Amino acid sequence: MNEQTSPNPPSNPKEVVASMTRMRRIFYVLPVIALAIPFVANEYLQFMANAILVYSLVTVGFNVVIGNLGQLAFANTAFFGLGAYTTAILMVYAGMPYMLAVVAAAVVGGLGGFLASVTALRGIRLYYLAIITLAFGELMRWTYLHADGITHGSDGLLMPQPSFFGIAMENETVKFYVFLLITVVLIKATSNLMRSRFGRAIVAIRDNEAATASLGIHTARYIILAFVWSGAVVGVAGAMFAALTERVFPESFSLTEVIVHFAMVLVGGTGSIIGSVLGAITLTALPEYFRQFPGMEELFFGIVIVCVLLFLPKGLVSLLRRVSPVFNERYYRD
Amino acid sequence: MLLQLIISGIAQGAIYALIALSLTVVYRATTIVNFGHGDFVMAGAFVVYVLVIMVGLPYVPAAFLAIIILFALGVAISRGFIDPIKAGPHIGFAMMSIAIGYVLRGGARTIWGREVLPMPQVFDIEPIFFGDVVFTGDALFICAIVAVLMVIFFLVFYRTTIGTVIQAVYQSERGATLIGINVRSFHEMMWGVGLGMGAMAGILIAPISLLHPDLGASFLIRGFAAMTLGGFGSLGGAVLGGLLLGVAEQVFGAYLNSALIDITAYLVIVAVLVIRPAGLFGRTIAVRM
Repeated sequence: MNEQTSPNPPSNPKEVVASMTRMRRIFYVLPVIALAIPFVANEYLQFMANAILVYSLVTVGFNVVIGNLGQLAFANTAFFGLGAYTTAILMVYAGMPYMLAVVAAAVVGGLGGFLASVTALRGIRLYYLAIITLAFGELMRWTYLHADGITHGSDGLLMPQPSFFGIAMENETVKFYVFLLITVVLIKATSNLMRSRFGRAIVAIRDNEAATASLGIHTARYIILAFVWSGAVVGVAGAMFAALTERVFPESFSLTEVIVHFAMVLVGGTGSIIGSVLGAITLTALPEYFRQFPGMEELFFGIVIVCVLLFLPKGLVSLLRRVSPVFNERYYRD
Repeated sequence: MLLQLIISGIAQGAIYALIALSLTVVYRATTIVNFGHGDFVMAGAFVVYVLVIMVGLPYVPAAFLAIIILFALGVAISRGFIDPIKAGPHIGFAMMSIAIGYVLRGGARTIWGREVLPMPQVFDIEPIFFGDVVFTGDALFICAIVAVLMVIFFLVFYRTTIGTVIQAVYQSERGATLIGINVRSFHEMMWGVGLGMGAMAGILIAPISLLHPDLGASFLIRGFAAMTLGGFGSLGGAVLGGLLLGVAEQVFGAYLNSALIDITAYLVIVAVLVIRPAGLFGRTIAVRM
């Protein structure tokens, strides 16, 4: 009779992992549900849904650097702008098809990530890296303004109508499906990457760089690679942004905009892909609303960030984690 | 021509030096780089504007009041916003300072909109001529104020107990606590001093330039460039870096291309961090991995 029977016998760890993996299949349902949005949304809501997809990618890409790598960076608007301008310039001057220009935007964005972070090899970290990315971002904006022979300066560069392998992206609905495809592919790719050796390495660098280096990981190289991936994803978001707004302005990529990106990452939850999407969904509609009142946008986003840092430092996703462990980040393969 | 450029460069550079110095104070005392500092400089300028134009105070009392207000703001920020997130990652402090800066900038823009505010001339000093070279009254006044401030500052830092305390806390917060230094209130005070000095820069900028909410951003980056050039955390380096940057801007702008004035600071940052990350006087900050 002294045999103890616990109400919940400890389960096999492998079974726990397997059951979590089964539960995670719910995330594959989300894009399928999203397919129905054009049937219920009006023109304006559809535009908002498209913008949410753009900002989801912006936030997912930014979160790799801010959340997973744990480095402060201001160059995100620069990658965003590089993607948008690359797309617009290639389409206007070279007549390149949109999808090819999107790939080019990823390459140029990735190159931007490399340039912004290459000083990591010189031992530049945290604040210094932040300052150099700040300089990089503003140098890019200065270039857009002053290369007015190509970019038309502050008048903005008008985009030709994009098409998806022959299908004209003539209305918000077509754009939505193209954007959804790109977003889902890149989010899945980022999610897989964060669960690979690379993803574990950058999280390890965030937590203790010296210890990570002692494991034989070339930390500077991984820091640069994280920036390259972040730049590529945000570059593609820029290409989508160009197609969405149909005109590319230097002011869309100024330092003022970076506060929006910061806010989305922090509100959603640093280091979480689900959090990134949540942050984008929560905050995308608001800048549009505040744009009519000068100053309100900065005021609002500033207050949001202060409140999140003080009261909900792990973001909205930490509330979901209380509901189910499905929302935890994982760093292993299934 | 060149001499004139150097002189106006030094007058500009004196303001950059003051901003770099105020950034360095907060950095040395708390190891936090205040990314919102440009907006505190802007706030200092706007507080003076409000006190002079709307309340009707003379410039000098308004300036002192503005410094006190910004000092109090610094203490409040340290107590209410930085201290509660002490346990979190270091990146949070920088985020917090950025966010508070944006709140100030947004607040200024909400009140004054997109208009640009002119501040009346306050220093009515006759320009002095030396041959072809002109020393304007504004430049002389600014240089004199900045020089006096710096002397006071260096005396406090290197010749008083306060300076020793600053050094102790910078080296080890825990060690400083153990020998009886109240680190928390010390941080509050240094945030106050940093913001007060930032306000001083704003006060000096106000009469010689137009006021707008985005004023701070361009000065922040110049402050960073001065700090980087002189070596992060080095007080003398911050001053020399500021002066050099001011001169470089004028010389590049005149001889190469006037559009370069806007980006000299960025180019300086990139060049220094690539070529010699420690700057002119900084200790090596690079980590070898």
